[in-house]
Amino acid sequence: MFLPDYYEFCARVKTVAGHRALDKIPSMLSSLGVTRPMIITDRGVLGAGLIKLVSGAIKGSKLKVGAVYDEVPPDSEYKIVNTAAKLYRAKKCDSIIAVGGGSVLDTAKGVNILVSLGGANILEYEGAGAVKRKLRPMIAIPTTSGTGSEVTVVAVIADHQKKVKIPFTSYFLLPDIALLDSRMTKTLPPFLTAPTGMDAITHACEAYYCLAKNPLSDATALTAIRLISANILNVVKKPGDLQGRLDLANGAILAGMAFSNSMVGMVHNLGHATGGACGVPHGVCMSLFLPYGLEYNMHKRAKEIGELLFPLAGPEVYAATPLKQRPEKTIEYIRKLNQNLHDATGGRHARFLKEIVDREGRQMVPKEKLPDIARTAQGDGAKIYNPEEINYDDAMMVLEHAYEGKPLDRRKVRKG
Amino acid sequence: MNYDSYPEIKPGRKTIKRIYIAVMLFIVGRAIQAAGRMDKTVRKEFQNLKDDFVFALGVHPHGPWMVVGRDTKGRARYLGWNPEGKKIPLKMSIKNVESAILVFTFQESTSVAFARNRFVVDGDLIDALAVVRVLDLVEVYLLPKLIAALAVKRYPKWSELSPVRKHIGRVAIYTRALLGF
Repeated sequence: MFLPDYYEFCARVKTVAGHRALDKIPSMLSSLGVTRPMIITDRGVLGAGLIKLVSGAIKGSKLKVGAVYDEVPPDSEYKIVNTAAKLYRAKKCDSIIAVGGGSVLDTAKGVNILVSLGGANILEYEGAGAVKRKLRPMIAIPTTSGTGSEVTVVAVIADHQKKVKIPFTSYFLLPDIALLDSRMTKTLPPFLTAPTGMDAITHACEAYYCLAKNPLSDATALTAIRLISANILNVVKKPGDLQGRLDLANGAILAGMAFSNSMVGMVHNLGHATGGACGVPHGVCMSLFLPYGLEYNMHKRAKEIGELLFPLAGPEVYAATPLKQRPEKTIEYIRKLNQNLHDATGGRHARFLKEIVDREGRQMVPKEKLPDIARTAQGDGAKIYNPEEINYDDAMMVLEHAYEGKPLDRRKVRKG
Repeated sequence: MNYDSYPEIKPGRKTIKRIYIAVMLFIVGRAIQAAGRMDKTVRKEFQNLKDDFVFALGVHPHGPWMVVGRDTKGRARYLGWNPEGKKIPLKMSIKNVESAILVFTFQESTSVAFARNRFVVDGDLIDALAVVRVLDLVEVYLLPKLIAALAVKRYPKWSELSPVRKHIGRVAIYTRALLGF
């Protein structure tokens, strides 16, 4: 087992998980000493009736929801955070319930920074270490099984003008409570379940082979991969499978714990840049870049990548694969999983950059945008934690392969 | 009760280690200024930064520090060891002296130090990554390959930095750093 000379691990979020976990909201908020939460969510969650489930859970308690802010867009930006914080103050709320996917949860974290520490612009708290004290009580209720934001120390919020995603990092960004209820992800359509699940697998894989890996993040990462790999395709095919949904949610939270402590590497580096430059949803980027991240780092992390085959494919496949072939088999398995998800979603799960389209069917990543993405990636923090160096030329080389969907020509990887 | 039998522990000063770090920061700071004139990659990194860009790198909370900024012509300029009274948009602090020693004796690369949560970055992360790229390159110029390879993730290939360019650059950077121009 790999044991670094030094590591840090913090996962102090109380986690409540189950088929009717929402029922615990009143007692949990009461134990935090608050009575007037603000709900932060998005229109999709509201339209799917999930806020009704939350308000149903607090019926008959002494809680009063101070405001419901439902205008968080899919790729939230700092102006939304600033606006929601104004509403929180105007309505004299005392806590936050965030109900949604990564964009909502990260927006809520940003709002919590402003309402707890003061200020009108969240950009004042950019970077690592700017948030230095405890924030207001917050419950995170994910409605996708992907980002793991309910247990991470990070909030990623976009600046659409500059076309970048800005990270905010602090242990104080950990919510007080993460609440996983299978009903909250049941309505997520298959074409969103697939990339969000692959996002979670990516968190776990990168946590397992990147520079800050440690025994505790390894344990959570491996369990996360096992849970997600065993369930993702079934749930995409049978969205109403509540046990499968709960397993995915548990996998995503474990992956969140892993990467929140080990951070992530090239897959997120290129994914953040592609999201920033072209507006591609995060999970889509993760799905298609994951095999490339593994291939790019193979010369430095073959052993770890080979070990990922066990939770991904199960003990039989692992035992039947000779040691030397396991890293390749891991990559092959992930490509196959992407292909299966592509087939199961009627082609909506993208496998490479060229085939990503928006709702109107327009190509989202034209080839001439690749240099922009490679340049943006040079300013993204995830590159620090990647085992191999990634400069502009390296990023371009990987992007060109990912654009066409060709496996990486590993002779072109410059080895450090 | 004899209160004297419960001793107070006062923090040591770690003077020798602080002096070593201060000397390293001084050399690296002046070398960045020199590299900004000698190396086109470093020059370009500084030209891409904002006009009033200044960064401080040092040990939290009491130093030592080095302060480097971008002048009006877009060149790197070493601004001394004291961040007091200066407007510093980017502060990169190593959390304690022992962590700084690991970095400045090249037992830990900058990336590993980040991965082990030894740095606090207060400011724009995009700028911080530009500074890390500059520091890596300056280390390649200043140090023999055997040591520099420990400090950076990937030692530059010949195609990225030819030996001739590296050795000429090394002599020029050391000369400029020692003479301070």
